[in-house]
Amino acid sequence: MKKIILLVACFCFHFTNAQIKEDPRVTLSFQNSSKIDVINLLEKETGFQFYFIKDWIDAKPISGNYSNTLLSTVLNTIFKDTFINFYISNDNKVILTQNNLIYDSLPDSFYKKKEEILTESKEVEPVFYEDNVVGKAKTFETIRIGKETKNNSKKFYTLSGYVKNTFTNEPIPNLALLVIGKNINAVTDIDGFYTLKLPPGINYIETKSLGIEAANKKVIIYSDGTLNFDLKETSETLKEVVVEASRDRNIKEVISGVTQIKVQEIKNIPLVLGERDILKVATTLPGIKKAGEGSSGYNVRGGKEDQNLILLDNAVLYNPSHFFGIFSALNPFTSGDVNIYKGSLPSEFGGRLSSVFDINTKDASTEKFAGEASIGPVTSNLTLEIPVVKNESSLLIGGRGTYSDWILKSLDDASIKDSKASFFDLVGKYKHKLNDNNTLEASGYYSNDEFSITSDSLYSYNNRLLSLRWNRNFNNKNNGSLILANSEYKFNIKYDGAIDTDFKLGYKINETELKLKMKYLHSDTHKFDYGISSKLYTVNPGTIKPIGTESIIEASNIAKETALESAIFIADTYKVDKKLLFNLGLRYSFYASLGEASQRKYQKGLPKNEGSVIDTLNFNKNEVIETYGGPEMRLSARYFLTPSLSVKGSFNSTYQYIHTLSNNTTVSPTDTWKLSDLNIKPQQANQVTLGFYKNFEDSFYELSLEGYYKKTKNTLDYKVGADLLLNNYIETEVLQGDGKAYGVEFLIKKTKGNLNGWLGYSYARSMVKLDSDFSEERVNNGKYFPSNYDKPHDVSLVTNYKLTKRYSFSANFTYQTGRPVTYPIGKYVYNGEERVLYSDRNKFRIPDYYRFDIGFNIEGNHRIKKFAHSFWNISVYNVLGRNNPYSVYFVTDKGEIKAYQSSIFSIPVPTITYNFKF
Amino acid sequence: MQLIMKNIKFLSFFWFSVALILTIGCVEQIDLKTISFEDALVVEGTITNESKIHQIKLSRTFKLEESMPRTESNAIVEVIDDLQNTYGFQEERPGVYLSETEFKAIPTRQYQLKITTSNGRSYTSHSTEITPEAQINDVIAVKEFDSNGTEGISIQVSSFNSNGNARYYRYEFEETYKIIPPYWSPYDAVVISDVAPFEVDFVPRSKEEKVCYNTINSEGIIQTETNNLVEDRVSKFPVRFISKEDFIIRNRYSILVKQYVQSIEAYTFYNILNNLSGSESLFSQNQPGFFSGNLFSNENSEEKVIGFFEVASVSTKRIFVNPREIIETTPSYISKCNLIAPELVNASGNSPLIEAIKEGTLKFFQVNGGENSPVIPIPGGPYQMAPLPCSDCTVLGTNVMPDFWVE
Repeated sequence: MKKIILLVACFCFHFTNAQIKEDPRVTLSFQNSSKIDVINLLEKETGFQFYFIKDWIDAKPISGNYSNTLLSTVLNTIFKDTFINFYISNDNKVILTQNNLIYDSLPDSFYKKKEEILTESKEVEPVFYEDNVVGKAKTFETIRIGKETKNNSKKFYTLSGYVKNTFTNEPIPNLALLVIGKNINAVTDIDGFYTLKLPPGINYIETKSLGIEAANKKVIIYSDGTLNFDLKETSETLKEVVVEASRDRNIKEVISGVTQIKVQEIKNIPLVLGERDILKVATTLPGIKKAGEGSSGYNVRGGKEDQNLILLDNAVLYNPSHFFGIFSALNPFTSGDVNIYKGSLPSEFGGRLSSVFDINTKDASTEKFAGEASIGPVTSNLTLEIPVVKNESSLLIGGRGTYSDWILKSLDDASIKDSKASFFDLVGKYKHKLNDNNTLEASGYYSNDEFSITSDSLYSYNNRLLSLRWNRNFNNKNNGSLILANSEYKFNIKYDGAIDTDFKLGYKINETELKLKMKYLHSDTHKFDYGISSKLYTVNPGTIKPIGTESIIEASNIAKETALESAIFIADTYKVDKKLLFNLGLRYSFYASLGEASQRKYQKGLPKNEGSVIDTLNFNKNEVIETYGGPEMRLSARYFLTPSLSVKGSFNSTYQYIHTLSNNTTVSPTDTWKLSDLNIKPQQANQVTLGFYKNFEDSFYELSLEGYYKKTKNTLDYKVGADLLLNNYIETEVLQGDGKAYGVEFLIKKTKGNLNGWLGYSYARSMVKLDSDFSEERVNNGKYFPSNYDKPHDVSLVTNYKLTKRYSFSANFTYQTGRPVTYPIGKYVYNGEERVLYSDRNKFRIPDYYRFDIGFNIEGNHRIKKFAHSFWNISVYNVLGRNNPYSVYFVTDKGEIKAYQSSIFSIPVPTITYNFKF
Repeated sequence: MQLIMKNIKFLSFFWFSVALILTIGCVEQIDLKTISFEDALVVEGTITNESKIHQIKLSRTFKLEESMPRTESNAIVEVIDDLQNTYGFQEERPGVYLSETEFKAIPTRQYQLKITTSNGRSYTSHSTEITPEAQINDVIAVKEFDSNGTEGISIQVSSFNSNGNARYYRYEFEETYKIIPPYWSPYDAVVISDVAPFEVDFVPRSKEEKVCYNTINSEGIIQTETNNLVEDRVSKFPVRFISKEDFIIRNRYSILVKQYVQSIEAYTFYNILNNLSGSESLFSQNQPGFFSGNLFSNENSEEKVIGFFEVASVSTKRIFVNPREIIETTPSYISKCNLIAPELVNASGNSPLIEAIKEGTLKFFQVNGGENSPVIPIPGGPYQMAPLPCSDCTVLGTNVMPDFWVE
């Protein structure tokens, strides 16, 4: 799909309308001739060469009679009623240009599509766009806006227009338009509309957006005017885009604490076992951490692993990892960009306290069949883009799988030999453009993991996500989306032991959400987002079934839990002036725990246990058991201190009605999710943030410094040794406590040049308090103590150095404070066995974590005719071979206490992966 | 494309074999060092529905590098019920306190343990009621394989409580086994002259050394619960596994299984205790930490006190097992038993035989061959001698048959 732009000539313009030196006099007459004929006549007469595009010239016949008249006068007359401007050069050339009409003022309805034809002239330097390959010298198409008039006096002109996708004709929102060297920029709104204030004369405009080709225009502006862009979707040019796309987002955006990661951006980052992993890259940014290698959840700003709303195409992904957390569940080839909100959450999102990971599957090309494949040491990956109806609909499918089972079997270690670990995932996205105003999207995701650690048990879990989305443009000011999303997560344990206790145990959570979100572009100062959503949860907290006739395990089924979580939300992006921007969001969430259920009532003021039960209440199907809810504030503000320095602040409050239950200090696949009910209250959090954002040297460097303070209420923690699986009365095993987290995050990014990357540092604390009047419900005497994932210091350096266009070298360095651990402080003998006395919870720390990775990337050559474009990545993870402890634990074996340290990757891990695109 | 695929195959084959070996995390043992030490009182005490002398043990925590606990002596220990009946305990040996009188715990009555240590600090338990009764129906010994695939004898308990109110169980056992040394002889060698000419004579053994018994108590925590079961029925719960190579099943063997019905609190305490010291894998960890039982300091609520004062109903059952009726087994004797024949006089004029008899390291078994003797001689002196444990069982157990023993 190469578009060869018709080129006329190559010139350097000196736009001088006023005085023309070489202006010959001509004598000619014509009757009802076409303008083309007249031009031909003039060429003959003057010997001047005319340059123009025939399409510009209308067919309206003209007549005239001139004698010894200046050529300029003749041309002025001929093109009087047209949009053609002309220029007579010193070397006997006449260049016709198609110029814009001049508007002295903006029309009343500024946002209304203009019916008047605003024409553009195109004069392009001779570049043949044979391929979309990156790395070419930038070419600037020249656009002139308005004829220059002598009484130009304005300091700025307004350039506005729409940016559309060439093929789908859809507006392209969130596209950045940057004026090079002038610190002027704009972002298109949902309709693809933008406005720029440009100083008169030459302005170089670049457009930047993910998945859209970058356009470079030289705009010579002499009046207010319109410039529309028709841009192509692209994947190849991304790399260029990526580095720059977020450049002004950083300082401009009103929402603080948002991180955007693009798949292309991470292409060159060293890999573990050959898997490109968006979420792993996220952990190199301040504020997003993992408890350790091998833990499957993320801790965002001191929040628990269950406090992240991970959305893949609007559906909730409950378990974001494969293979004990070594790989993320996201297919790197089908994922588009990921937005991680860790500070202020947009009001449309809710239901989790700490963060939103908004992940979108990319759109497949509607033009051309394409594919991408990767061969790694553990996994292989294949993605296909299939156009279904040309320019209308397309299908993206991607699959990934392991061959690790085979390797586990071939290992000598007896303890691992019986292990089994494999996974696969499938992604599909269908997008159909019904017409200019309606688009339909359908996405599906399925993942499956199976593993066994001991020979008698087999664990498996899977995620299933389905979503439908209908986008509709009502008019220029209103558009909306209707989203239906369903997601299901379940796990199974099959136990096949020696005695008659074989069983199969299962857990399942299913949620369906219907959401309507609308956008209303009221004016330049007010833009509203509003909507309503409702989500139905059904949880099967556990079923156990005996296997075989020998088994005496009673088939049992913990009663199903049902709940409805609804919310209405509204947010106003209020632009007070150029400097001050507010996002005033309010969300009201409402939760109802529904029957059929039987719930215990406990004596108030007593610990919840068998003994304090005073009543058991029974509820009918869909009868409301308990309701919770409240307003959630999502307020943020941005103020420009200088054009490249902004300060942002936010206040954010959230409710979370669902909790994970886990015996482990880290997330394991057998963690269950529990809905709030009569005895378990929803979690709550309030966060305030303040940050400074600065761009240097024409946005080559982005700097941010952000601080936050967060308080949480009713987060779940567990009594030591709690029995959570198959427990009808979870409330007797858990504690709800308070938490606080605070920190400062620093990030400097170099986004351009041969050397790019970022350096992040955060100082962050995360504390928990479990206090009660009763000793059984108190931990560490009811004082604040560090959470399991409290790692105060965290440094990440990610760099990439481009040696040539084909070769690049990358390196990562990470340092983190060791996570807290409960350490033995003595021994004692009980029942004849020596046992360990543990310290207060999390009183000590495991050794610090640090790791250095290197990678070398080789792009296949860029020959155009080559069938497949290839990419090699050779990387070594943990080059220093640092044995980073993941945990330290203690075992009493035959009356003797032993300390063990476990680590995941304790030696350098070399990998080579091969990717190719066709 | 063909070529590409070929390359891929080769590469992937090569690399995944290298790389995946490394994916599996490594677990290594590290030195256990005391970072800081906290001294705490440890209380072990269970009173039951058996009318007997009950026992309370007091000790203290010790450093990780140390091997023995310190006992808590000279404490005042008493159990008081809700009718203010006080049962005093006297220290029998360091840290072990026995009740002054026989008593048993009675249903519906509340019991409390009170301790005052020699440094004047006092501790009290929560008031505790005895748990419901559940009788052991059956204890069986069957051939079984353990999780490592080792063959052996599994001792399994079945119990039933028709009321359904006993849901938590803890087990202890006492096992007694018969010891028969392989080279016992009715005679002992005695030294007549330990100077040249050396002389040895024989006398009948004066005490029983041919058949002995040894009794050992279980260690550790063995628990089960019947919460998930239809009935309150413990079915063939394995309390003990004896490998077929274990010396203790060389001869007749007996086990007394004690089943304690626990309260949920006691069960939880023991369960946590067990979980925190049990084996853990890379992929799962318990949240360790200090957990209190039902004993607290009266002076300082933050002081750590370890232990649970349990009032439990107990049911016991003894079985006898002839191991070879269950499993084909000939476990070797506990120690190496090689017969030797020390010389009466050696080249340097000493008598290794006399020395061994005097030191008691060797015992007479039989005459080392001779005319018409069926004994195959071994090189050396006149008598075949056996190491002490191979001839005298009192080294390994008691020669008094326990009262309960039935042949």
